[in-house]
Amino acid sequence: MNSFSMTFTVNDFYLMLQGAAITFLLTIASGFFGSLLGFLIGWGRALGYTWLYYLLSIYIEVIRSVPLLIQFVLYNSFLAIAGLPIDPFVSGLITLSVYISAYVAEVVTAGIVGVPLTMIKAARGLGMSYLQSFRFVVVPIGARSVLPSWTGLMLGLMKDTSLIAVLGASPPELLRSSQIIITRIQEPLAILIGAGAFYFIMCYVINMAVQRYEKSWTSRRKVTA
Amino acid sequence: MIKIEGLRKSFGALEVLKGIDLTVNKGEVLCMIGGSGSGKSTLLMCINALEGIDFGRVEVNGIDVHAPGTDKNKLRQKIGIVFQQFNAFPHLTAWENVALAPRRVLGQSKAESRELAEYHLAHVGLGDKLDHFPSQLSGGQQQRLAIARALAMKPDYMLLDEVTSALDPELVGEVLDTLRLLAEEGITMIAVTHEIPFAREVSDRVAFFHEGVIHEIGAAKDLIENPQLPRTQKFLSKIL
Repeated sequence: MNSFSMTFTVNDFYLMLQGAAITFLLTIASGFFGSLLGFLIGWGRALGYTWLYYLLSIYIEVIRSVPLLIQFVLYNSFLAIAGLPIDPFVSGLITLSVYISAYVAEVVTAGIVGVPLTMIKAARGLGMSYLQSFRFVVVPIGARSVLPSWTGLMLGLMKDTSLIAVLGASPPELLRSSQIIITRIQEPLAILIGAGAFYFIMCYVINMAVQRYEKSWTSRRKVTA
Repeated sequence: MIKIEGLRKSFGALEVLKGIDLTVNKGEVLCMIGGSGSGKSTLLMCINALEGIDFGRVEVNGIDVHAPGTDKNKLRQKIGIVFQQFNAFPHLTAWENVALAPRRVLGQSKAESRELAEYHLAHVGLGDKLDHFPSQLSGGQQQRLAIARALAMKPDYMLLDEVTSALDPELVGEVLDTLRLLAEEGITMIAVTHEIPFAREVSDRVAFFHEGVIHEIGAAKDLIENPQLPRTQKFLSKIL
């Protein structure tokens, strides 16, 4: 067997599988940190301080306006210039987390301000503190209304992870690993369909996980109906 | 005792309360009637500090409600409030709605708060709806749930803000029945209402609000059957 094969080999499959795993882990990690940061920013905007609202809105608008590709390069170069040569995965993870946090923040703000004021008054009227009413009334009600939007962001994030390739991160994530194989065996269509299938499966898994969680809220309703 | 002195309150340029003096004694039932925009609901919110005030003083159990150092959360535990919109927490079942504040604010255990919720829901006739979500309850049931939720904090006072106004006519009766029950049990109540016969029946005193002041106040029977001032007469003749 020739060491340079012109056909799709088992190793190629492993390379794509590894790429898929990297894509998945990047999505989960940046989705987690980005949602955490986005929650705090979205909450801050809903606190009712005008100056804070505008300050955080600038953050959101800047990050949403600059293409992600440019942000990848800028963060990475900035860290290198600052004398912190950093692993492309780490810098990519930071970029993705910051990027998605701006979108999550919008969703979180919408979820919080969407809870009727009289609902909050009812909670405060029972003697709950601001934090108690936020934790036990505002967040659960708001979360239920914006969960589908948040899921959409996470699925978009998964596809955006492919841009980390510009940093030359190695081992490559799913799309980059597919391109490597395409360059060698010259079968773009088949490989891209395969890569697409990987993306689909991962999105499906995330979607199912969220839907299961969502059901745990609503199925209780059906049992007692 | 609730004591209100010289209370003034504006929303922007609009002065909603133009000097209110009112004392409500323990065990008393006071109904507030009057046209919309006359300041009744705002006054209720000023009593438990859900709204701030501009001038004057509100005292509840001897505590200055609006003083900077007052622990408003603690004070509100003693003042139950029920709104026109039922405001049942949609993500919680009936018993969880009632148990939430006792559990999180008073620090009761899950079992304790569950027992408390069962007691208060049975009290308002919802003993068989413990595990129902608000979306599965009728308007009248949701409003009784809100009453049970407020009562579970064992308040000294109940503030009722047009609690039957958002209900279908056939559901008003069941909520009023619940309030009658409370009145008989001697809970101090201040109720904003448009149910004049109900006000006449259960309350000790009735206050007629007009343009941000208490225009006329008196014993329920006297004020409703024999109002002294022309504006009160006009209002009552229109509504009865």
